[in-house]
Formats: sequence, C-alpha cells, structure tokens
Amino acid sequence: MVRKLVISLLTLCLFLALAACSGEDKSLKGLSKDEKSDKGMEVIGENVKFDPNKLVNNGETIAIELWTWGGKEVFQKQVDAYEKIYPNVKIKVVNQPWDDYWTKLPLQLKGKNGPALFNVHNSYHSNIIKFMAPYDISTEALDKDYIGVTSHVIDDHVYYIDYAINSGNIYYNKKMWKEAGLTETNIPTTWDQFIQVAEKLTKKDATGKLIQAGFNFNGETYKAIIAGLGYQKGELLFKKDGKTVDFDNKTTIGNTQMLYDLYNKFHVGSPDFGDDSTKSFGNGQSAMVYKWGWMQGELNNNYPDIEWGVFRIPTPTDEVPFAFDRYNGESTPGINANASREEQAVAQDFLKFILAGEDFGREFSLFNASFPSKRSLAKDPDILADPVLRALAPNVDRYIWPGSFPSAVETQSGRVFEEIFYNGVDIKDAIKAGQKQMEKDMKNADFETVESKYKFYSER
Amino acid sequence: MLQKVKVTSFNLLLVFFLIITVFPFVWMLVSSFKTNSEIVKIGGSFWPEHFNFSNYIKVQENFQFMTMFLNTLIIATVITACVIYTSSIIGFVLAKYKFKGRDQLFGLILGTMMIPWAVTIIPKYDMMEKFGWMDSYAALIIPSLVSGFGIYVLRQNIMSIPDEVIEAARIDGASEFYIFHRIIFPMSRNAISSVAIFQFLWVWEDYLWPYLVINTDSKQLIAVGLAMFNGQYSTDYGGLFAATAISIIPVIIVYIIFQKRFIEGIAGASVKG
Repeated sequence: MVRKLVISLLTLCLFLALAACSGEDKSLKGLSKDEKSDKGMEVIGENVKFDPNKLVNNGETIAIELWTWGGKEVFQKQVDAYEKIYPNVKIKVVNQPWDDYWTKLPLQLKGKNGPALFNVHNSYHSNIIKFMAPYDISTEALDKDYIGVTSHVIDDHVYYIDYAINSGNIYYNKKMWKEAGLTETNIPTTWDQFIQVAEKLTKKDATGKLIQAGFNFNGETYKAIIAGLGYQKGELLFKKDGKTVDFDNKTTIGNTQMLYDLYNKFHVGSPDFGDDSTKSFGNGQSAMVYKWGWMQGELNNNYPDIEWGVFRIPTPTDEVPFAFDRYNGESTPGINANASREEQAVAQDFLKFILAGEDFGREFSLFNASFPSKRSLAKDPDILADPVLRALAPNVDRYIWPGSFPSAVETQSGRVFEEIFYNGVDIKDAIKAGQKQMEKDMKNADFETVESKYKFYSER
Repeated sequence: MLQKVKVTSFNLLLVFFLIITVFPFVWMLVSSFKTNSEIVKIGGSFWPEHFNFSNYIKVQENFQFMTMFLNTLIIATVITACVIYTSSIIGFVLAKYKFKGRDQLFGLILGTMMIPWAVTIIPKYDMMEKFGWMDSYAALIIPSLVSGFGIYVLRQNIMSIPDEVIEAARIDGASEFYIFHRIIFPMSRNAISSVAIFQFLWVWEDYLWPYLVINTDSKQLIAVGLAMFNGQYSTDYGGLFAATAISIIPVIIVYIIFQKRFIEGIAGASVKG
C-alpha cells in the first residue's frame, strides 16, 4: 500500500515537473491589437519628449521584460501607466536578487532571450556595456533635462544616464543633540565647527570610558568619505592620465590626520567603540555618522525608534569648495542590443515615456533617498520634504562623479583605515602602501575618469 | 572508574559540539519571531520581547513562497528519484559486470566529482540555451539525472552483495532486469538512503543554477526566493529567518525518514573496495 502511494506520488511529481518543461513565458495573454494611433493625449516633456499619439509595434501585440533588483513597485507603476496607453504591449517587471544579478544578467544579454530592458548599476559598466544599445534620444535633449549627462556620453551616444545622484551626509541623533544643549543653529558647516559639536555630543563615564561617541566613522565610512574630503580641497582622485589613482598625496594625508585626530586628539570616538557605525548609530551609541542615502532606508526599517536628522557634509572653510563630495548616480535602465528589433523599439519608447515624465524620477529618488537629476524636479515639494534630499538640494551641482572606478580604490582605502586605526601603522606609510596596492590592482582595468567633465573642473 | 570519567568527558565534549552546531539554528528560529529592530539591537535578549508572527505572514505576501516551496519539493523529489535509479543501475553494471575498460570508466566517473562546479557552469549554461531549455525544468532535471557521487556509493555497496546471490537467481531463471529490480535494488537500501538524503539536500539548497536558468517567478525555486530578502544595502532578517525556518522542514522530514539507514549506507561505501 505504502509502496503504491510512494510510486503514485513520484509519478505525480514527474508529471508536474514535465508539465513545466516548457520554454520562455512571454505570454501575450490579455493583450489586444491597438488600432487607434490618436490617443487624444498631450505630448509629455520639455526637451526629452514622449508623444503617446502613435502605434507601438504597429499595434501588434508584444511582450518584453524589464529586470530590476529593487524598486519593482516604482517600475510597475510606470509600466501600468504605459500599458494603459498601449493595450497591445506587456512589460513584465521581474525582480532579481541583487547578489547574483550581475552574474545572470551578462549571460542572459549574451543570448537572444535576455530582457529587453534592465536596471543598471554603473559599477558594473564594463561587464554590460558591450550588450547595450544606445538610447534613441538626443544627447542634447537629455542634457537640457538632466544633470550629469555629459559624463555618460560615449562616442556621441548615451547608453544610460543618472536619474538621481547619491552622496554622503551627516546623520545625527536628535535626542542626543538636544541633551547636549544644541539647537538647529549649531548645525556645523565647517570641520572645525563639526569637531566642537562632536566634542559636546561625546559622553564618558566617571572612569573616562567612552559611553557615547560624538562621531563614529568605524566600518565602511573611511573608504566612502576620503575621496570626497579630497575634492573639497580641489584634489582629484585620479592623476593627469585619467587612469592612475592619486591616493598618496598631501591632501589625503592631511584629511586622514584630521580623522585620526577626531579619535586620538579630540576623543569624540574610538575604533573600538561601536565597530559598525551604522549599528552603533541605530542603537543610540553614537551621535553622528557619515552615511550615504541608503542610511535612510536602514534607519526606517531597522531602527524606527531613533529620532534622526541630517545635514550637509562640513567643508574646510565657509567658502564654496571645489566640490562638497563625490557622488554616484542611480542609473536609468539599459536596452539589450541583442533583443529583437521590435522589442528594442518598445524598450526605447518606454524609456522615453519614463524620462520625459517626472513621476519615475521623483518616485525612484524618494525610494533610494537620492536627489533627482531631472532639473525640473529640483524644487519639487515632495523631494524637498525628504530630509536627506533637502540636505543635498542647495548644492546639488557641486558634487563630482569620478566615473565608475574599479572597486580596488574603495577596498584598499578600507585596508588603509584598518592599518592606521587598528594596526597602528603610520599614516604616511599606510597611504603609500595603499597607493601601491591600488595601482597594482588597477593595472589591467579599462577605466578612465570623467572628473574633467565636472561642471566646475576649471576652478582648480 | 577511569572508564566512566572517559565516557563522561567524551559525552560532555559531544554536548559542547552539539550546542555549537545547533545554537545558530535555534537562534535563527527564535529570531524569526522578532522584528528587524529587535534582531539588530545591540545587547538585545535572546528571546523575543513579544512573539511576533508577522514575518511568517509577510513571507507569502512578499513573494510566491508557497509556489516556490512546492516547485522545489517536486524538483527535488524527481531528481532524487532519478538519481537513485540511474546510480543504482550504473553502480550495478560497474560492480557486477566484467567488461573491458570498466575500471577506467569508473575512474572517469569519479573524475567528474573532482571538477569544481564553477568550471562547468558556463558551458552548461550555453548548452541549455542552445537546447532551448532556458526557463524550463528540463534545464534543472536533465543535467542532474546522473550523479558521480551516487554511482560511487551504489557501486561500492553493490560490490558487497555476494556474486552467489546473483548466480543463484540466474540459475533459477531470473532475467537481468529481474535481478536488478528484485534483488540488487532492495539489498541496496542503506546506500540508496544515503544518496537520497544528500541528493535531496543538494537540490533543495542549490541556488545559483536554478537562478541562472529559471526566469519566471512562478517556476522559481526556494533558495532563489530566500536570496530576495537580501537587498543591495540591507537584509530583511526577520523575513529571511521565517522563510528559512519553513523551507528546512522537508529536509528534516527526508532525514528522519532515511536516517536509520543513512549511517550504514555511508559506512558501507567507505570500507568496501
């Protein structure tokens, strides 16, 4: 009896498995032929324009895929709006896990079954650029509507741009701020003022043991902030050839000394106090941390009880610096050059739809706590209501993008931090060793910085 | 007296290792009832302040958890059943039939176990694409039909079955088909149990291959679903722990079913040459 049951179950499993041994699921179910080219809708956009009054794919039914590792809901909303205009088109938004997205995507793009549209992260530029088709939108129009387009121009073509820019800010604990007798007027704008505030926020017990750090930069902070500190003083991250990293210089040494002094001279923190600055801030151990936009999501999801505020990264003086910090862009989707001509055409049209409108830029910026690069959104009330974006807003064009440089720069910067703060290596020696290792690691990298395309590059 | 001290010390050592092994699992299980803020709290309690079932509720809401769970169950069962059968039949041939190149063939099969999966994954992917099996279970099942490990274990086990048993059956008029299915297969239960546990476990926890070849959410397997909890910058620990806690149930059931024969099967494979 049991044996028969087992055999029956196995047969059922086999049957179900075989039933699913069919090919790609690009179902056209629910789609209908579109015969009405005049939708009676207005053209969207200022310079990048989207005219809805046409037939897509000659009105014939078509389905494409759009892959992303996050923000599925934001994409879906745009897809729903687009599909409402064109009942013959289906865009399937597929969510992928971030970890191996970059393993799977190039393999898929290489073949003929890859997604027509896919979310891009500029750090993987070299892995995917050869599979990407250029945008069918004029670079001039994009440049008029979006900040930072010129940095993305390759042979007069654009393969993706930034829909938003992400950079660092100082996050502070409002409760600790108040307890230290500080008010909004004490928000520091220079590093000297910052040190004074950090000292006030630092608490020690009767034995002199640190119980509250005024500023905590343990963990990932050094590698995130060090290049930005250099830019504040007009020091570029790459040498004149645009390929060799320029880490071992007086500016890096000076900035590292300043951070070193924060712990060892002003005692506002310690490498051994809250070794993960994010966790330490979230658990109410540290009063201030330097973090990028993702911190907002982290705080909202994991540390909802912390009352926090955010302010712009301080600068050496009250003068406007060469750049406040470096930024990294959140990229617009890429188009698969190996997709069929029809699929690419739909993908291009959908891109125009999201780039001409404002909803995509606004919602994705809020989702990622990144400032929208669409110029028309700079004073958008929803954007300015966000504390992180409000801190970036006044100087958004004063942030520089060095290009999607190889991870070796950040990895080795992290090691330099460990050598200095945990292994007691001399600052100059650690930075010199870091430079040497970075050069070695980047020897075969196909990278050239776009620092020279920065709007205020000539001010150096 | 000395013997008692030795046994007690040894048992204490085993208990120590047991705690080290089991504690992370218990911690995960307990944490699945905590909120994310409680999980990441420095100096937080081991037990949840309030037992919170929202992570379990969210698991199904966030992605097609039960669909992926069932998909994995079906695929793991089918592959395990196929591997048991192919391993037994190949093991039988390699153990009981004498033909030219038999040992070399066995050496070749063993050699396939030494090749790291990372080396074969790209050519295997290209093959699946050329065959048109992408996004289909054929890409998951067919490359897994034959297992070098399974053949090795079964071959070693079948070698221990006396040739006289097979000879007697032949004299009684049994066909080779009958001998394999009615004599060899039932006598290899211990080895089959070992292979079944390992194979089921491997399929159940396999992540990269199903992720690469399956694109449709409704066809995806559980290990890929679990990876969805890891975002670019953060992880939904509560959801991940809850989903993992549910997903290991079938593995535990399979182990409970086969555990009696598991150790004997592995021991059998290790001593017979």
